[in-house]
Order: sequence, then C-alpha cells, then structure tokens
Amino acid sequence: MAPHTPQRSTRAQPSPARPAIAHSQSRHFGDVPLSGSRSIGLALLLAMLGLWQVAMRFEHPDFILSPSEIARHFVEALWSGELLPHVGASLARSLPGFVVGSLIGVVLGLLAGVARSLDQLLSPVVFLTYPVPKIVFLPIVMLWVGIGDVSKIAVIALACFYPCFINAYHGARGTPTIMVWSGLNMGARRSQTFRKVVVPSALPLVFAGLRVSLALSFILLFSTEMINARSGLGFLIRQSESSLRFDLMYVAIVAVAALGYAGDQLLLLARRRVLAWQDATSR
Amino acid sequence: MSGLLADPAGALRRAALLMVGGLVWETAARSGLSSPLIVPSLTRIGYQLWVLATQPDSLVEAWYSLARALAGFGLAAVVGVALGVLMGRSTLFAASLGPFFSGTYPIPKIALFPIFIYLFGIGSLSKVLLIFLECLYPIVITTQAGGRAVNRVLVWSAANMGASRARILRSVVVPATAPFIFAGFRIALPIAMIVVIITEMISSADGLGYLVMYSLASFKTDRMLAVVVVIALIGVALDRLVVYVRDRLVSWERLESYYVS
Repeated sequence: MAPHTPQRSTRAQPSPARPAIAHSQSRHFGDVPLSGSRSIGLALLLAMLGLWQVAMRFEHPDFILSPSEIARHFVEALWSGELLPHVGASLARSLPGFVVGSLIGVVLGLLAGVARSLDQLLSPVVFLTYPVPKIVFLPIVMLWVGIGDVSKIAVIALACFYPCFINAYHGARGTPTIMVWSGLNMGARRSQTFRKVVVPSALPLVFAGLRVSLALSFILLFSTEMINARSGLGFLIRQSESSLRFDLMYVAIVAVAALGYAGDQLLLLARRRVLAWQDATSR
Repeated sequence: MSGLLADPAGALRRAALLMVGGLVWETAARSGLSSPLIVPSLTRIGYQLWVLATQPDSLVEAWYSLARALAGFGLAAVVGVALGVLMGRSTLFAASLGPFFSGTYPIPKIALFPIFIYLFGIGSLSKVLLIFLECLYPIVITTQAGGRAVNRVLVWSAANMGASRARILRSVVVPATAPFIFAGFRIALPIAMIVVIITEMISSADGLGYLVMYSLASFKTDRMLAVVVVIALIGVALDRLVVYVRDRLVSWERLESYYVS
C-alpha cells in the first residue's frame, strides 16, 4: 500500500460544485437510497403474502405455517413472555458489540485518514485482514474469555470494526483539499480543521459504514447464538427447531427480521437528521 | 507483487509488524504463563498447518467449503447482476423489486437457515442457497446504483448509431456498470465465506467450519488455529482474485490504492 498524504489522494476534483463524497459513496454498500414507488412494492408484498396464505389450503408439510398463523403465534408469544426475554438477551449482546466495534472503527478510521503515522501503522493490518471471515475468531475468543456473552460481544465488535474503519478512513481521506485549505487559510487550527471540515465531510461514508456494521452485527449475533448460547433469538430458533415447535421458530424469525429492520430504520432516521445539509445539496 | 516493488518501505514495515506479532505470541506461548491449550506455540500451529496441507482428507474439507461458497456466490453473481442491471435501467423493475430488496435488506437471512434445512435438506443445497441469498443483496444494490449512474451521453450515442436496446444493454450499460458490479462482488465474497463457515459450524459433518468446531471440541487448539489460518488465507486469496480479474476487465478505471495493499 502506497503511503499517501490526504492532500495527494484527493487532488483530482473535477467539479467542486459536486461533492466528492457523492461520487465515491455510491460504491459503498449500505448508502444507496432505495426509494422507488412504495405502493407498487407494497402491493407486490401483499400479493405474495396472499398467495402464500391461499397456497396453505393445499397439502403442505408441517414446517410451513401460513402468514395468519405466524401472526397469531407472534402475538401469543409476545403476551406469554416466551419471546421478550430472548429479545432482551440478544440486544444485550448485539448493542454493546455494535457500539464498541463501530465507535473504535470510526475514531481510528478518521484519525488514520488524516494522520500519516497512524495510517502506516494500522491500514496495512486492517486491509490485509479485512477479507478474513471474522466468525472464525469466535472459537479463539471463546477459548480466551470463556463461552459467555463476552466472547460474543467481542466477535461482534470485531466484525463491526472493519466496515466502520474502512469507510471512515475513505471519508476522511476524501475530504476535498480545497475545503481543508480554506479552513487553514481562515486561521483554523489543526484540531478545528479536523472537527469542522474533515469529520462533517466524512459523515456520509461513516453512516454507510455504520449501516453495513449493523447488518453484520445481526448476522454474527444470530450465528453465535445458534452455535452456543442459552438465551437469545438465535438460541430460540435453534431450540424450537430441534423440539419441532415450528410456531415458536417462525415467531423468533419474525422477531429477528423486525429487529433488523427497526435498527436499520433508526440508523436511516439518524442519518437524515445529521445529514440534512447533504440531502439538501445533492438533490 | 507490484505493490512490493513499488513500496519496499511499506513491505518492510508490514513484515516487521508481522514479526513483532509473532514474537509476542511465541513469548506468551513459551513463557509458561498460559496453558498450551489456550495459546499454542507457533511451531505447533505450523506443524498442524503442514499436516493439513499434506493430508488429502483435510484438503477435501477445504474443497467442500470452497465449492459451497463459490457455488452460492456464482449463482448470486449471475442473478444479482441481471436483476441489478434491469433495476438500474428500467423504472418498472426498480419500482416493483426495489421496495422488496430495500425492505428485506436489513433482515439477517441467516435466521432462515433452519427453514432452509427443512426445505432443502441438511446437505450442501441449504448452505449454497443461503449463501446465494446473502450475496444477492449487495450485488443487486451496487449493480443497480451503477446502472443508474451510466453516463446518458454514452447511451444516447449508441442509440443514435443504431444500436438496438439489447445491444445497448450488452455493449454500453454492462461495461459501464462493471466497476460497480465488482464493488458488489468484493462485498459479497467475504459474506459468502462468512456464511459458509457459519453454516458449517452450526450443522455440518464436513467443511472447514466443521473442522474448526471439531478441533475445538476435541481440545486440539493448535489444529483449530491452523484451520483458522487456512480460512483466513482462502478469504484473502479470493479477494485478491476478484481484484485481479477486476483490474483485467476494468482496465480504464484504476482501483483506488487503499484497497490494494
């Protein structure tokens, strides 16, 4: 990896009117706006559910439930207290992992994006180990810190670190040079330039990284819980599957889906709040 | 390789870092402070690596994992690029499929694995299909973004010179989208590796993920770490391969230097 100063890597800015970020951002998963007309999609979804419901009238294996049955079981499990403790256990693992991993990732990524010495120290390691599937570290971490929640949180944090570091790093390095220059020219100190120029211009990519990390944290949460846990939604799916309680299995799957969706929506909401200025300029 | 020649100082720094890491590990292993079960020495891991590499049995396990990951990824690549290009270029496809993909994107598909086992059996098929599903999303979404971003002047000029719609799609849109498609591939391939290892850890009697769990359960930590090294190497090698193919096919746009270390 060739060492670049931030200035050198951002020399080519064809049109200052178009933010540099808007170009590179689209290459990063998780930041692509997917609007389209909502009504057609909703109609398609309802049609699929309806078809599913109707298909259930014919002969089918035990392990397939109709949407209405799943909905009924979901409400029942919610009231009976079969579901909520597991939701709590899962969140108690995924949230600390996500917060710790992405916080360290964003901070180190931003700093590595502006400080050459840190860049040279960290980036080779990070970019080399990036394609390694982080789940393989679960057995190792389990060996070191035990089979409990700490090992799961550590693996989730590790997985969340990478997308955040990489996106924050690109974001900081992609800061238009001219903005840094104008900041310095107007007498901003280095710390001020970092806080008021580099960080805001990196934010769109940081959010893209957070979104990928969030999705990853859920994947790792449920797989670590499926591999070994005594509580949590992944455990619930495994347990109800092996005890042939398909109703509970579907309830847990729906809960997983709902959590993933809700987390993503929360993140998008925060993004719209924080990046209101960006949406206003790029559209 | 060219990276080594272009940046000898960086290569030296990386080698030094690797050696420091190895030294710390070896000291911890040999100091007697921790059990060899927790931190096995590098020589033992190296020996197990040698055993893994020379035993036909373990090569078969690696082949199982690789074949599953590549089958799921390949399927997702074909379907994902087709869907992504269609969604990027046609408002009808974008409007009908877009909400579906954006709505189900944040849902961890891994939760469907038990259902997949019931539907498609506990063998390779359920794993391959789960990998397909997890890889499909990043490929579709990045390809769609690329399809939207195709310079319309290029499309206009092709149409002006009498190209048919199919020809425009094949000769203009797909090549112009290629950088995005490869960006999607580079996201999807590590996901394929993650999912194949996870599914093999959860339920399998073969593959590298199984081998990790089996070695752990039989307290062969050195063997487990050797398998982890193999998985890591496969992950890095596959990523390099995608970058190589990308640089060959998309020769007109340089990949930003930070990814190619």
